[in-house]
Amino acid sequence: MDYLASVFAVWIRLYPSLMTGFAITVSLALAAVPLALAGGLVLLPLRMWSGRLVRALAGTYIEFMRNTPLLLQIYLIYFGLPLFGLFPSEFTCGVIGIALQHSAFLVEIYRGGIEAISQRQWEAARAIGMVRYTALRHIILPQAALRILGPIGNQLIILVKDTSLVSAIGVAELTMTGKVAIERLAATLEIFVAIGLLYLLLTSALGAGLRIIERRVSEWLG
Amino acid sequence: MTSRRNFVTTGLGLAVGAGAALAETRSAAAQSTDPAVKSKLDEVRARGKVIVGVTSEAPPFGFVDEKGELVGFDIDVAKLIAKGIFGDDTKIELMKQGFAARWPNTQNGTIDFGIMVTTIYPDRVLQVAFTRPYIDSGIVLVVRKDSPVKTIADLNKAEYTVAHLTAPVQEERGKRLYPNAKFLTFDAISAQFNAVKLGRATACQLDAPVALYYLKDNPEYRVLDEWLTDVTGNGVFLRHDDFKWWLFLDTMVAEMMGGSRYSDYKAIYKKWFGVEPKRARA
Repeated sequence: MDYLASVFAVWIRLYPSLMTGFAITVSLALAAVPLALAGGLVLLPLRMWSGRLVRALAGTYIEFMRNTPLLLQIYLIYFGLPLFGLFPSEFTCGVIGIALQHSAFLVEIYRGGIEAISQRQWEAARAIGMVRYTALRHIILPQAALRILGPIGNQLIILVKDTSLVSAIGVAELTMTGKVAIERLAATLEIFVAIGLLYLLLTSALGAGLRIIERRVSEWLG
Repeated sequence: MTSRRNFVTTGLGLAVGAGAALAETRSAAAQSTDPAVKSKLDEVRARGKVIVGVTSEAPPFGFVDEKGELVGFDIDVAKLIAKGIFGDDTKIELMKQGFAARWPNTQNGTIDFGIMVTTIYPDRVLQVAFTRPYIDSGIVLVVRKDSPVKTIADLNKAEYTVAHLTAPVQEERGKRLYPNAKFLTFDAISAQFNAVKLGRATACQLDAPVALYYLKDNPEYRVLDEWLTDVTGNGVFLRHDDFKWWLFLDTMVAEMMGGSRYSDYKAIYKKWFGVEPKRARA
């Protein structure tokens, strides 16, 4: 039991620095989540464009963003932009990297949700005289929204955990704070467990929030 | 409501489980205080080879060469220790490990000892034991060749940024020597260099041999003529509570630094750093 006491002693000693790191992780997530959600919405019409060229270009971009490692993308943004004379802060580079990759995943979730609605619903809506926009707005989107909420929640939880990759470019977020503390105290396991619990706290809170939203939306849509 | 309660219980369960797992690893380690348990020295001799934790990410101390072999100053010192145990420097298993992994691997006995550019630091000694230093590497600052910075004092301006490694001593030195500069922290030496190369940082702080090694192939950098005066003792690290093993390793290091193994040590030093070591206090 005296070992557990020493673990708690490490945790108490690190409490201020871990909280600072935790606050930066939360800020990263708060900045990246809306950007990723909005980025997906921007890409969505391009990905579903009727013209083949635009659709192919959007598709290629999305595949590139989805199929290369986020760590690599963050490195490219952080160390690549200076070659063009741009020096955004490491925090900004991290947020951009995370938002870009996750918007590419999110647009596919949006698209999947819309395409999953039967073609007959479109035909029925058009048959009773709705124009394409009205059909989309009143028939297709409400049904699609309900179906994609779950997958979106999943994606956002992955996003929150991905913020740890930003430690590679020197953002002093939770994982980085932990790595620095490990270097100092040589207490690897104790510190990784503390960090793990803090991530768990954050993703659990996010998950709980998302479940409430999902319930509200389903009640609202009947 | 039930789902929420379940969730809380699960969370608590996980936390308690994690704590228990930690406690378990520790009680296994604590057994070594029992005199009936064999020392690592006996274990290693019975096994017929010694398992050493090393890095492959810090040339010239430990890295993979063009032939794909793990080489470096630390590796050669480890082999010298293996030779001291068995009279044969091939009776060694080199285990590559990440910097964060070296502490638990030492505590749970996965490695017999570690030697990987590890600075002796009081907080660390609470967790693992160190031998006396086997090298004082010296610390330098590296800037781009075209940088206006000439001295350490020049760096002490708010418009300059210095790239540090996660090692605690680097930031402490920075706060003392150039407190007005902005600091950046990376977890890899290559990222420190990239930061300087691409203008993310004005300078980076490095162990002198590491810096000199990189500079051989990268003429676009230069080392500030003014070296940091700090003593940085790198030590061999091992599990606490094993006096016999610690005494053996510490004696080996003492013999290398100024005793019967000094000529071997000197040859290794010359091979990797191109100069002879300052004769250490015996």
